Order: sequence, then structure tokens, then C-alpha cells
Amino acid sequence: MNVFDKNQLNQLDEVSRRTFVGRAAQTALGVSILPMGAASSKVLAAGGGKAEHCIFFYMGGGMTHIDTFDPKPGTETGGQTKGLATGVPGIEVSEFMPGIAKRFKDVALVRSMTQKTGSHGGGSYWMHTSYAPIATIVHPTMGPWAQKLLGKKHETLPDSVQIGGGGGGPGAGFLGPALAPLPIGDPDLGVQNADLPEGVDEDVFESRLKGMNLFDSAFRKKFQTDEVGAYSQFYDETLRLMTSSDLEAFKLKLEPNYDEKVKRYGDGKLGKGAMLAKRLVSAGIRFIEVKSGGWDMHQNLWGGSIQTRAGALDKALSALIDDLKADGLFEKTLIVVGTEFGRTPKINANGGRDHHPRVFSTFFAGGGIQGGQAYGKSDRLGMAVEEDPVDPRDFNATIAHAMGIDLNQVVYAPSGRPFLVAGHKRDRETDRIITEGKPIMPFFS
Amino acid sequence: MDRYRSLLFVVCSLVVATTSSLRAEMREWTSSDGRKLQAEFVGAVGAGSTARVKLRLANGNEILYPVAKLGEADRVFVKSSLPTDPAALAAEIDRLVMAKLKSSYYELKQELAELPENKYLDHAQKLKRKEEIEREMVMCAPNPLTTDEQFMRRIYLDIAGRIPTYDEASRFLASRQRDKRARLIDELLDTEAFAMRMFNYYSDLLRVREGLTMGGSDMKVDPYIEWLKQCARDDKPFDRMVSEMLTAEGYIWDNPAAGYLITDSGMELCNLSNTFTVFLGTEITCAQCHDHPFEQVKQIDFYRMATFMGTTSSRGKPPVMMMASTDEPEGGKKSKRKGKKKDSGKSEVKRMSEILDAAGMLGNRDTDRTLGDINGTRNYYVNDRGKQTVSLPHDYKYDNGEPHQQLRPAVYFGDPVNVERHASPREAYAQWMTAKTNPRFTINLVNRLWKMAFGYGQIEPVDNIPGHLDGQAQNYELLKFLESLMQDKNFQIKEFFRVVYNTQTYQREAETLTPSLTQVDNGTYHFPGPILRRMTAEQLWDSLVALTTDRPEEIRREGAADYQEFMHFDTSELTTAKQIVAYKERWRSLGSLTKGEGMKLEKGDGRIGKATMVRASEMSLPQKPGHFLRMFGQSDKNLIEGQYDAGSSPQVMALLNGSITNQVLSSPDGYLVNEVAFGEDRKGDKVDKIFLSVLGRTPSAAESQMAASMLNARLDRDAKEKVQRTQLAAGVGDVIWALVNTREFMFIQ
Repeated sequence: MNVFDKNQLNQLDEVSRRTFVGRAAQTALGVSILPMGAASSKVLAAGGGKAEHCIFFYMGGGMTHIDTFDPKPGTETGGQTKGLATGVPGIEVSEFMPGIAKRFKDVALVRSMTQKTGSHGGGSYWMHTSYAPIATIVHPTMGPWAQKLLGKKHETLPDSVQIGGGGGGPGAGFLGPALAPLPIGDPDLGVQNADLPEGVDEDVFESRLKGMNLFDSAFRKKFQTDEVGAYSQFYDETLRLMTSSDLEAFKLKLEPNYDEKVKRYGDGKLGKGAMLAKRLVSAGIRFIEVKSGGWDMHQNLWGGSIQTRAGALDKALSALIDDLKADGLFEKTLIVVGTEFGRTPKINANGGRDHHPRVFSTFFAGGGIQGGQAYGKSDRLGMAVEEDPVDPRDFNATIAHAMGIDLNQVVYAPSGRPFLVAGHKRDRETDRIITEGKPIMPFFS
Repeated sequence: MDRYRSLLFVVCSLVVATTSSLRAEMREWTSSDGRKLQAEFVGAVGAGSTARVKLRLANGNEILYPVAKLGEADRVFVKSSLPTDPAALAAEIDRLVMAKLKSSYYELKQELAELPENKYLDHAQKLKRKEEIEREMVMCAPNPLTTDEQFMRRIYLDIAGRIPTYDEASRFLASRQRDKRARLIDELLDTEAFAMRMFNYYSDLLRVREGLTMGGSDMKVDPYIEWLKQCARDDKPFDRMVSEMLTAEGYIWDNPAAGYLITDSGMELCNLSNTFTVFLGTEITCAQCHDHPFEQVKQIDFYRMATFMGTTSSRGKPPVMMMASTDEPEGGKKSKRKGKKKDSGKSEVKRMSEILDAAGMLGNRDTDRTLGDINGTRNYYVNDRGKQTVSLPHDYKYDNGEPHQQLRPAVYFGDPVNVERHASPREAYAQWMTAKTNPRFTINLVNRLWKMAFGYGQIEPVDNIPGHLDGQAQNYELLKFLESLMQDKNFQIKEFFRVVYNTQTYQREAETLTPSLTQVDNGTYHFPGPILRRMTAEQLWDSLVALTTDRPEEIRREGAADYQEFMHFDTSELTTAKQIVAYKERWRSLGSLTKGEGMKLEKGDGRIGKATMVRASEMSLPQKPGHFLRMFGQSDKNLIEGQYDAGSSPQVMALLNGSITNQVLSSPDGYLVNEVAFGEDRKGDKVDKIFLSVLGRTPSAAESQMAASMLNARLDRDAKEKVQRTQLAAGVGDVIWALVNTREFMFIQ
């Protein structure tokens, strides 16, 4: 179309502006505690869609593949790490994962993860969003994607929660703050500011609220705008939430047999994070990310750090699998372990391993995933992918598929740019935008 | 036509012609298109680009004629009689707003009358439209003027970025000067608070953050921060400011404006999109990958534009001898490479690391991490390298170019640019961008500033100004007036604001209805008053700071001078481990808070309990995700205008139960609590004092009574004096808590 048709341009321009304003209104009114409308019925893809919940363990720093899920004992890169039989012929995990070795019939590994970024920030961004970090947009992470594409799961509780990591990361990205994961700093402390502060008893609180309502009455009467109304609604909802039992989901200390469970899950942020995640799944929350660091093992890898980190992960995963099974939640809860990259097979001068995005491993269990298998292969020394490469987009496509998300559903950012949950490309034949990431189908047979 | 009639009506009712010494002299007038007329000059009506002359014809009739349509000689003739003071220019804005409100009212009225005959709408649609029309007609009536109390709180938040302190509030309200509003505007524009407020805006717009680059270098951002504040403080013309950012050369510590290009280091194509969004209100990101679907911009246009900056690098190398510490310690070893690639200071890092190692202070690493980080910031040197790096992408699919083809730089709108006439392609780009003739540069600026003052831009969204402006803007005549006003004021933002804040339009009460999306969308909200806005996260935080101290701007972050000195320091002087450790220490302490003129803080300054209560602009950027500022929508500084004002449950919980409202604001160490509970009660009633401090108004009788009972509710008369003091402070804290939790506090009315 070479002829400049002003009317037509006007019309199109109008559309883009409407989309923008529409979203702006949504953001102003939608809040983590307000129901976002009933879950829309989505296409349940073949074999997927069984995971109503997902617990995503993110191992920050770059989890060494050779010393966890892809051991190379006896080779020049294996280091001091020995292998451990899993009961599946030909598949071993490292000696630091005894719990997983025992439960391997429920576990599916990916040993051919690969991506291009060697920096922590960039790699983590890729794994969380399926996109490269760029300066003009922030892409959403999986929890907000799920809420956007599947609808809100619970009426009052938030859809996604992030435990640990200080609330950092891309969060809801362009989907807006209303869909941002609720941050939990310390699993033992739960939601920030949920309880009355010291020195304020119920009587004082009542008197303060009475004061607030009186002092504010003239203003609220005069300005009955949507924004003021929205804030008043937040106050009502929050006050209700504070006194309701819903918030108890976040109170880990209320967990029956707390001490016994801490022993099984591990007495640390990771173990307690997993414990809280389990509690939140039982309460109906859809997506929980548990962030844990300490994997950037540049030096002295066998001097205690691999034992501590891998040990904590092994304990947390084992206890989680056991408890989900005991409660009949395992089949509807996907457990994933991800990280930004692996670590160099070559052991450096300081007895550590450096960044290695070329090949690394991730972990899947539950939520309809067929256990007892390892997908893809690294080469003999753990240097590169030998078979079936899986990039961050495929990784996220696998999670999304398990959760019943349509990989090809386009979502437009406020600027009008189209995005998909597992990355996108243009289909040369149809000129349509389609998913770039492909799920690991053998996991769903 | 209705619009014409109401315009005339407004002219007659509002504006009085200014008298002039040039009066009473019959002369010949020539219009710009050459028509001539004999008339006597009566005076000027209005001001700025829409000023008119009042002429008396020989028959005694008087006519109004736009100055803009006069010939050059006549324009010069009347120039001296045209008023240029803020009040006159403000009145002109008011006239244009009133005219639009009026014409809009008549148009709506007519539409309402014709609605029953409308053939395109069914019954239900007609009912809905009727409702909309009636609602919009209500919004065509200008709101009442603000009271002094309302005006005061709003102008403080808009200019100073926070509510007034008790002293400031009582001083203004007590003043009997007739022009006290204009005086307050002048006074506030000259405060440091204004520089802080503008910086918060720039920081949101330009994504100013610690480390600055997306990869997260250890670079100190202080020079850039201080430069932006200084631009606001000195009222540097905005066109010059932008030009300096686009053409900056050097390190950030030597040339702070370089911070702008360093922000997008390694993402030069994104920088083009960002520059267009921020300075031209134009979204062209789409065109990076394909022809823009809505606007007249093709993918090839994007790359032609990008070619202007294609020879500029933010990771360039400084000319030799910029650094004192670049000599190779062992000469000759790398002499072959030395000519081509300069050692970026790595040898110094190595030398100092060896000294640390010898002293057993290096640990397991090859080189010291901090020293490496310091040296790493030398990688960001902005300059022109001469080599063009931009070409069409590998998958370019249109017929007008080939993949990988290099293009000649060219603009796709505005004045054509001849690169050869400029010192460098980016000089040409900067000049084109900031030129008065650029159809979007000034419009974008005034539209954004209008939004700051009124809550909505004349064109929404502000980052998507359509190429065809007429008919899209809320009030085209007004927008064109603002454009010429900004240019007449030489792009000085303070001067522009001085006019805008003096308008009655600004000084009216905030709109009590929410304009509908259709209204915003179609540009039919015509500003009967400003929109009711929620405070930005920074306004909210800074207002809380103003409750804890009577000198909220005293504590400042000042680190640029130290940083520059540090980076110029010749490290070859450092020969012992002790010296090197001290050097590293110094690096860590750069950019800390000071109390005026570089004076270090004393213990407890700016702190209440565990909280640092200083203005948001002086704190780390952005704050950590759990901080109060972030919770209320401070941008994470990754995206242009990433801040938000939407509510959430965590916000409410923070206000109800968090430490700021429960410990900080009720702490006896805080200014307000201390003054009210223990100060000499010289300035009247305790309750009045709290209300004036928090809400900027006096309480009603019922409010007074309630607050007074809350003040004393915790008091046990039989308790020891020390206990009573704590109880009294807690009572004051309760009232403050209740006031800070009101919507009235959080919104700007």
C-alpha cells in the first residue's frame, strides 16, 4: 500500500491508543487481592495441562551440572564428585543427591540445556522470560503469564508468590504491577506487614480507623473518582484479609509438625521456602518461585559449598515430593529446578568452576511429567550438548505446556508489540507470529 | 459558528486591552499576505503567539486582529506593547481553555439535541451516549477556584515535590499579600526542592539508576545525577540539555551528560527508540523489526535514523594519556599491541593486586575484585570512532534495501538534514532533534510538562504523539500556544511552569469526576481543573520526610567532585598494601550523604530509628524491591516512565502496619511529634498543628474533637512523667497515623 490514506491511518492509530488506555484502566483497578475474573477455558494441549500448580526452584549463581544432575565420574572433568545409581539403567545423579536418586522414578532431567549468555543477570532473565534483556521493554515471568492467560486462580489470594530473592527480577514486566508476584522475604515471617505492629492493640487500631474514616469523610464524599474508590476498596479488602483465615496460608509457623518438617526439608531459606511453597499450594496458590543463591562456585567447590548447596536442594526436593504425594497433590503440582547456566567442566586454579552456558541441567517432577528419564545428552566431559538441545524458550514452553497454557496465544504489550509465553518468531508460510519454544514432548507421554 | 461566538464572548468578558503609548496615531497596517488597512492602534489584547491588536478604523469601529497575521514591520511596531509577564501569558492560556470548554459545551448540547434523530445508534446506544454527553457537559463547567489551603498543598507537591512543613504552611496562610500565590510560585521555583522534584521526573523518564548500564557496571552515577539537578536548578534550556546529552564525549566523571548514552551502552538501536519516545513523544520501536503498522515510519527509516548514531560508541577508548596509570610497567613486553590497543589500566590492577597478595590480602583470586571493578568503569568512554556500525538487519525483507546494506543517515520527518554541514553525524542529529522547527520536540516537552501539572497531557498517551496533530490534540490552539510559549521562553522549564502555575486553570479545584476513557481517548477532556492525582511514590515519601524534619532538603547526596578526583588519581603512587586498602575504602565511601557544602553527617542525622528519612532523590536509585518507595510505584528504572500509581494490598498493609507509619512518624525523634508533644505550644492548638502539617488544612469541629480525644486516649495521669511523655507521643502518633492513612493525604486535590 503506497498511497497514504489519512483516514485509514487515523483509524489504526485509534486502535493502538484504545489498547493502551484499556490496559491503563485495568492496571488501575486490578490488584493482587482483587479477583481478576473467572479462569477462561483454555485449550488443554495433548498430554499437558495437568499441573494446576507450579513450584519453581531457581538456583541463582549457576548450578554446576556435573556435580548435581549430570555427573562425569572418572573423567578428567568429573572432579571429586562420584555418581549414584538411580535405579534407571544408564542414569546416575551425583553423590550429593541421594534423596533424588531414591525418588528418580518420579523425576525427569534435562541434560542438554543451553543458552548464549554467560552473565548472571542476562542468563537469569532469559530463563525467567524466554527473551533477551533489552532496554525498551521488560518481559513477564511465568507466574504473571499464567495469570494473564489462564485467569486468576484464587479469589482472594495472589496468583504468584516469590519467596526469597528480595522481590527482584522482571516480575510481571509489561503486564503491569497488578500481576506482580507477591514477595516473601523470610519464609518464617510470611507476608510483610500483615499483623498489627507492636504497641498497637485492637482497641488502638479501632480508634485509629475511626479517626481515619472521620477525617477522610469529606474528601471521599467530594471526590468519588475511580482511583479514590479503588483505594478505599483496597482498604476494605485488606482489612478483611487481615482478619480472615486466608492469610494463614503464609504463616509457616502454623504448619502442623513444624519442627519435624524443618528437619526433613532442611533448616534454611531453601528448605523453609519449599515448606512454605507446599503450604501455599495446599491453599490454592498457582505459581510459587523459591529463589536460592550460593551456586557461583568459582573456588574451592568441594570445600563444603557443593555439599551444602546440593544437600539443601536434595533434602528440600525429596521432602516436597513426599509431602505432595501424601496429600495427593503431586500429580497436579509441577516441580521445576532451573538456573542461569552450568559451570565449566574444567576445574580452575582455585579449585572451582566458572560460568558455562553451553550446556547445563534442569529438573522436572510431578504435574503430569513422566518420571524416570533424562532428556538430551551432554558430551562425555560435560562440555557441550551432544543430543537434543533445549534452550530457555523450550524450557519455558515445557512448563507452560504442563500448566495448560496455549503457547501460541499472543499478548500485546502497551506499546502494541506482540509477545508469547515461550518466545516468538514469524511463521514464514502464514506470516503469523508463533511460538519459538517447543515443549519437551517425551515428558508428557 | 458556535466556537467563534463563544470565543468572542470570552474575549469580551475576560480580557481588557492593555493601554499603550503607541495609541492614537493613524497609520497603515499590512497583513502577512499583503493586504493593507488604515487604522489607529488602540492596544494589545492577550499575549504570546495568540495576542491580538485592537485597531480603530476611520469610521470609529474597532476590530481585533491577530498579531501573528501582521506583516513583519507591524509585528515589530507592536512588539513593545505586548505584555510578556507570567500573569498576561497565563490569562491567555485561561482564555484558550475557557473557549474550548465553551465550544465543547455547545457541541455536546447540539449532539444531545440531535441524538433522537441519529440513524447510526440503536436505542440502547443512544441511552448510553446520552448519559455520556450529560456527564461530559458537566465537565465543561470550570471548577471553582481553589482555597489558599488547597492551592498551597498542591503547588508544594508540584514544584517542591512534597507537602509544606508546618512552618511553611502557616507562613503562607498567614500572609496578607494580595499576590501571595504568585510569590509562592516564584519562591518555590528557586528552591533546591524544585531541583529534587525535577530530578525525580528525569530519573523516571531517563532511567537513571546506580551502575547505569544494563549489564550492571560499578560506575558511580553521581555526576549524571548532579548534572540533571543542576540543569533544573539553573534552568538550563531544555534544547541545550538534550543536545549536550546526545553529543557528549568522554567519561561520565568528566562529562556527566555522557550518562545518557552510557545508559543504553551496547543497545544503540534501543537508544534510538528511547530517544524518540522521551524527546519526541514518538514510538518507533516497532520499526526496528518491520514497517510501523500505524504511523508513517518504515523499517528503513529506523535504520537511516540509527545511522546518525552509528559511528558513536559508549565503549570507546580515550585518546592516549587521558589516564595517569596506563603505562606498561614492563616496557616492551606488549609493545606490539600497545600501538593498536591501549591497556585499559589492567596492568595497574595487576601491580596493586600483587602488592595485596604479598601482604596476604588477596585471597584465592588472581586480581583484586574491587580494583578490577574500578578499572572496569573506564570501559565506558563516549566518543566517535569514525566507523559506521549500523546496517540493515540480516533478515531485511522489503524491496527498498538489501540485508546488511549500509545507509546514508536521513530523517523521515521535519527539516531534511545535510550531514556534511556538521562536525559529526550526531551533531546533525542533535540539532535536527532540538530545532524549533522540529514538529515534535517542543510539542513533546510542553505536553509532558502539562501532564505534570494537570494529570493528563493534551495528547494521551504522551509517548505516542500522532504525526498528524491537528484534530488529535485535546485543544490544538492551546497546544500551539504552549509550543510558542516554550520557544519564546527559550526552552526554560522554570519560566514555562511559572506561567502555567499562575493560570486560573491550574488554580481551580481538582475535577471530582473521573474523565471517561472515551474522553481521554478522543481528547474531549478540556481541563475544567486539574485531574485528581495520586501522589507519585517520591511525592509520598518526601512528604513523609517533611513530617519528620523541618529541613527536608538539608541532607544531600554529593559525590561527583570526589568521584572525578578519585578517577584522576595517579595510582602509581600507591606502593603499600595499606595505601591500596585505603584507596579501596575511599571508593566505597564515594557518593555518601552530606549536610550542605560537603559536611559529613553526624550520627543520627537523617535517621529515625532504623529508617533513613531523606528525600528520595538523594537515596539509592532505584530502592530495593521491598522498600516503601518501590511498593508505592517507584520505577525500577529499567523502562521509560516505569513508575506507577496503582494501588495494591501490600501498600495498604504497609500504611496500616508498617514501620514508617507506626514507628517513624510516631517517634519522639521526629520533628512533628516532638514539636506537638513537647514543643512550647506557642503556635496554637496541637490538633490544628497536626492537621496543618499532614493535610495542609485546619480541622472541622468534629475532627478536632475526635483528634483531641485520640491525643489523650493513651495518657495515664498517674504514671511517671517519663512514661507520660511516651504515652503522649504515642497519642500524637495515632492522630498522624489516621491522617496519613486518609485518601485525602495520598491524593493531590
